Amino acid sequence: MNAKLKNLAKNLAPWFGLVIGVFISCSLAWFFNESPWYVFKVLATSFFNSKFDLGLTLFYTTCLIFSGLAFAIPMKAGLFHIGSEGQILLSALVAAYLGSKFVPVNNSFSVFFYFLFILAATLASGALAALILAFFKLFKQAHEVVVAIMLNFIFAALTTWMTVNRLQNPNSQNPETNLIAPSLQFMQNDFLKTYFDNSAVSSFLIVAVCSCVILFFLEKKTLLGYQVRAYGHNPAAATRMGISSSQILILCMGLAGMFSAFVGLTEVFGNSFQYKIGFSPQYGFLGIAVALLARQNFVGIIASAFLMACLHKGASDLDLETNFLTRDFSRVLQAIIIFSVAASYYLFSRTQTSNKKLVKKKEI
Amino acid sequence: MDSVYVLLLLSTIRLSLPLFFAAIGAYFSEKSGVAQIALESYLLVGAFTAASATYFSHSVIVGYLSAALVTALFAQVFCILILKFKGNSIVIGTGMNLLAMGLIPIVSKTLFNSTGSTPSLELPEFNSYLPYLTLIAVVMVSYWLSEKTIWGLQMKFAGEKKLALQSVGISATVRQWQSVTFSALVTGLGGAVLSTALSSSYSPLMSAGRGFIALAALIFSGWNFGRALFVCLFFGFCEALQIQLQSNQLISMYIAAEFIQMIPYAATLLALLLMKSKFSAPAELR
Repeated sequence: MNAKLKNLAKNLAPWFGLVIGVFISCSLAWFFNESPWYVFKVLATSFFNSKFDLGLTLFYTTCLIFSGLAFAIPMKAGLFHIGSEGQILLSALVAAYLGSKFVPVNNSFSVFFYFLFILAATLASGALAALILAFFKLFKQAHEVVVAIMLNFIFAALTTWMTVNRLQNPNSQNPETNLIAPSLQFMQNDFLKTYFDNSAVSSFLIVAVCSCVILFFLEKKTLLGYQVRAYGHNPAAATRMGISSSQILILCMGLAGMFSAFVGLTEVFGNSFQYKIGFSPQYGFLGIAVALLARQNFVGIIASAFLMACLHKGASDLDLETNFLTRDFSRVLQAIIIFSVAASYYLFSRTQTSNKKLVKKKEI
Repeated sequence: MDSVYVLLLLSTIRLSLPLFFAAIGAYFSEKSGVAQIALESYLLVGAFTAASATYFSHSVIVGYLSAALVTALFAQVFCILILKFKGNSIVIGTGMNLLAMGLIPIVSKTLFNSTGSTPSLELPEFNSYLPYLTLIAVVMVSYWLSEKTIWGLQMKFAGEKKLALQSVGISATVRQWQSVTFSALVTGLGGAVLSTALSSSYSPLMSAGRGFIALAALIFSGWNFGRALFVCLFFGFCEALQIQLQSNQLISMYIAAEFIQMIPYAATLLALLLMKSKFSAPAELR
């Protein structure tokens, strides 16, 4: 019973950290001449102001589930993957380009076929971009964080160039590409979208939730999941047991790239139907906080993504609601949540180890 | 034609300045066994502090000093979380970068009522050689600290074999704490150079990945103090090349600006690709 209770406490540690993190962030507002209580009220309530707002929050949730998965899967194998921002940009551009280039004939079969093709190509582009990281890690032992940051810069420059110089929408002043083919915009009359007053949310939310559940079973119930976990805990021992490190790294990074690509797809096929420069409020980095909050538990990611989406929505609203806090407050919030979650791991695991020591002493 | 090369050489040295500071910062932190991803945030905090302190006090020296101090204070958050709460240094480092990127616009909004650049500074005559003097002082002090003092030896032992250090009664944690603080102090000076010498105000995200480039330089040099500075010179050259190419009308007609801007990042990747793995990282680096 006691052990169960302790395990529960360990699993709840990140949520405890979240509460502390939100508390610290709100108190920070006091330094900028804002009332912490008011900031908290905006953060906590802005997501259900209206059906439209809730839809927007669910759209953020979709993106954050995908980017959280993109961070959590490599983390299982001991890789710190912060390159998803670049992969999101690249894959969104690929989706927008292919969507505007391939115009299906007007029957549902061809629309379905084209959609599948674009889906596959976009996912492949994300996976390939992520595999560059795996390549550097495998053959050069280069630190994946440095490589990922450099790739993020390169992909950002590349997509900007492609959008402005090659794919610019001639009817628009903003830097954005053409809209995708009208028949491919079938998510316009999506049932979720209609229900939430044409908000940004789309059926990708269902895809996101399903993939979380599927991954959860893959991880806990299959040999492959076991191998990945074994490799993450102790690479040397796992290699000894005959688990190929290259196989694990390529699998994890490929999957991570695919889920980054899903964020791009959600934006292009579910929300704006085109590639806009700067569409992503750094989903790739938000995903880190989401995954850490859920302790890399795939089902937990659904809940933590929704929570972070609410906070992100609230932080964006702070821009309008307060004088000095800008939407950058979202980043401060993420950082402080990352800190307090990391610290709470230690606090909770320490009480556990000290208890163990006590037990040992008694035995002696 | 000669003048182009002279210009390139001079701007190489100028643009390498923040990299030198950041690489020295990275050296101290990584050698003591703390993986340092947060250099980017130190550069940003240093740059912003230097710009605003110089603006309010009308003295560049106050700007430099406050940049070093504030960055060292900022790094205490990192130290506490890494060394006291045993956090993963990569996770916390990423968090620090996010914190700096989020906090600076809000502070800037409170101080100057704009989230963009700080007001531009009026800089005195001696400002053009102040960064070089600072660099020479910093290089000398850090070389002396790491190579000639017992503190330096203990700092390196904290990174190579903690047990050995503990067996002579010295806490590795304390050495790491001091070392990371020094690292942030030096990197903060690099940030000050960025905003007061390379430009005359702070503009958002002006470090542009330099912290990571400096870290890559250190890794590429095999965690060696002298070699890291030479590698920084190479990356500085790439940045100078990028700026020279962008201002050259003939070339910018054929190559888009975005591709030229990629040069420093692509060069970093290339360097990591060409790296031989004969160098080994400090044994307790985590």
